[in-house]
Amino acid sequence: MPSLLTAVKSKMFIAAHRKARGMLDGEYASVFRGHSLDFDDLRAYVPGDAVRDIDWKASARVGAPLIKRYVATRRQQVLFVADTGRNMAALAKGGESKKDIAVMVIGVIGTLALNHGDSVSLIHGDERGTQAMPAQGTESHLETLLRRVDSTAVLTAGQSSLSAQLEYAASHVKRHTLMVVLADDEQINARSAKVLRRLAAQHEILWIHIEDAELAGVDALAGVSYDVADFSPVLSALAGDPELARDYAYAVAERSNRRSEVLRSNRIAMAGIGHTEQVMGRIFALLERHRRAR
Amino acid sequence: MIMVVLLVWRRTHKANTAVPVAHADRLTSLPRYQKALAAQKKWLAVAVASLLLMAGALLVAAARPVQETNHIPQTSNRDIILCLDVSGSMMDTDEEIVDNFSELVTEFKGERIALTIFDATAVQVFPLTDDYDFVAEQLKIAKNAMNIDSGNFDFFDGTYEVPGSSLIGDGLASCVSGFPQEAGVQRSRSVVFATDNMLAGHPLLTLPEAASLAKTGHIRVYSLNPNDYSTDSYPDQIATELKVASESTGGAYYPLKSDSAVKSIVKKVQDTEAAKLKGAPLKTVVDQPAVPLGLAMLGLLGLGAATLKVRP
Repeated sequence: MPSLLTAVKSKMFIAAHRKARGMLDGEYASVFRGHSLDFDDLRAYVPGDAVRDIDWKASARVGAPLIKRYVATRRQQVLFVADTGRNMAALAKGGESKKDIAVMVIGVIGTLALNHGDSVSLIHGDERGTQAMPAQGTESHLETLLRRVDSTAVLTAGQSSLSAQLEYAASHVKRHTLMVVLADDEQINARSAKVLRRLAAQHEILWIHIEDAELAGVDALAGVSYDVADFSPVLSALAGDPELARDYAYAVAERSNRRSEVLRSNRIAMAGIGHTEQVMGRIFALLERHRRAR
Repeated sequence: MIMVVLLVWRRTHKANTAVPVAHADRLTSLPRYQKALAAQKKWLAVAVASLLLMAGALLVAAARPVQETNHIPQTSNRDIILCLDVSGSMMDTDEEIVDNFSELVTEFKGERIALTIFDATAVQVFPLTDDYDFVAEQLKIAKNAMNIDSGNFDFFDGTYEVPGSSLIGDGLASCVSGFPQEAGVQRSRSVVFATDNMLAGHPLLTLPEAASLAKTGHIRVYSLNPNDYSTDSYPDQIATELKVASESTGGAYYPLKSDSAVKSIVKKVQDTEAAKLKGAPLKTVVDQPAVPLGLAMLGLLGLGAATLKVRP
């Protein structure tokens, strides 16, 4: 089996040139609120660095913005909480399998984390159970995580039940992490909302939902489809009726609004991704939003 | 052929490979989707029903349904000659017969009727005709003349040209010769012969001779005799002769017990005639494609409508 991480990296390379990748690094670095107090040295500002880290006096002397670096910055941990139920084996908005996008997201953020010397861990599962992978800072470990997600999110997996994974994280993870939630395009139910409130206090949370294939409207899926929830056929051809398409668009917007409402109330930044080509841009925007939200 | 079918099947099968989607309830829970789904199901059912109807109807049509009718040849192509003995003893019976036929003639369609009266000699009052207005008029005149209160005997002019009375054989022969010599169309011929066979005089032809004449012309003689005095133990000689003569022609003999019985006797004569006239029933077979083809058309229309309504 070819390396999933190599594939992700090559996509990253294609999607963004060096400077943009550097910006992404800066955005990632500013995610964590905590700094040690021991000043190490200064380095040149790269876009994406937190403005509060700029050493204004030094910058004034040099004539270019400089960033304060601190020693012994604590090794951070990135925790991916991924839904690997069969919903993730369904088609995404862009026509790919949703888990392919999830793998890409984990690969990109995981690479950023490894570049910063941070470790990555994974909590995933479906309604049948939740599994956890320990935190390690190696590429081979990240590759293992990617393969785990890729191999478990299949059509024979159980129903998606992200709230179970969130509850698992709430009860098992004791330290402060950057928690990246890879969610299905689902509603956030009361159970999830409750555990999210708790998690938001402990962690930096980035909520990424993989957008589902459209069933009506201009981007609608052509051909016959079936619902992974109960494997019943979906006659998306019926949505050729403009009135039904309008109802559908309204219902989808309604769902999206409700999700945004819950996440915003917990001050969680979120992004929807429908295609692997969108991953880089959306992650950058998400990190940006997360930094500004503080 | 099989290859083509396989290819088409594979292609449709491939096109039908469904893709998995999550949260289809975004669409399927919408009331309008449910409604559209119900409509889809309904029209699919219509399509299937139409197809079945069309197939069934075409199958029936292909079997060529026919309507079979048994047709009995018309009884109206017959000729009747009323042959009435107008001797004094027969007047009441004659009046009754004429009255009955003037009623019957209103129901005739295509039958021809003639009236001949005889005593010593025979007189044809009117020849065979289907001009029923004329017949009714003539029968009315005859009825009036035969009424016992009538003092006018002009109607009977020409019946006493030779000595004698009730020259039965001559009378019947005259009546029988009243049928035209038609070669082509075969019409049934009957004579309603009212007489008491009370011969007085010397006829040119005896009754059996006249009867054989009728028989040669395929004419049936139905005799009505008001003065039959036979009992079970003692047969009336004169009446028996009339009976034998009538039956020899294929007709029948009816003794009249009273004049009011004429109606039933005339009816009996008509029924006998009708029964005799009944030929072998003809079977007519007519194709009936209208109903199955109409149903097939209906099925086609249903299928067309469903095809328009059902989304692929």
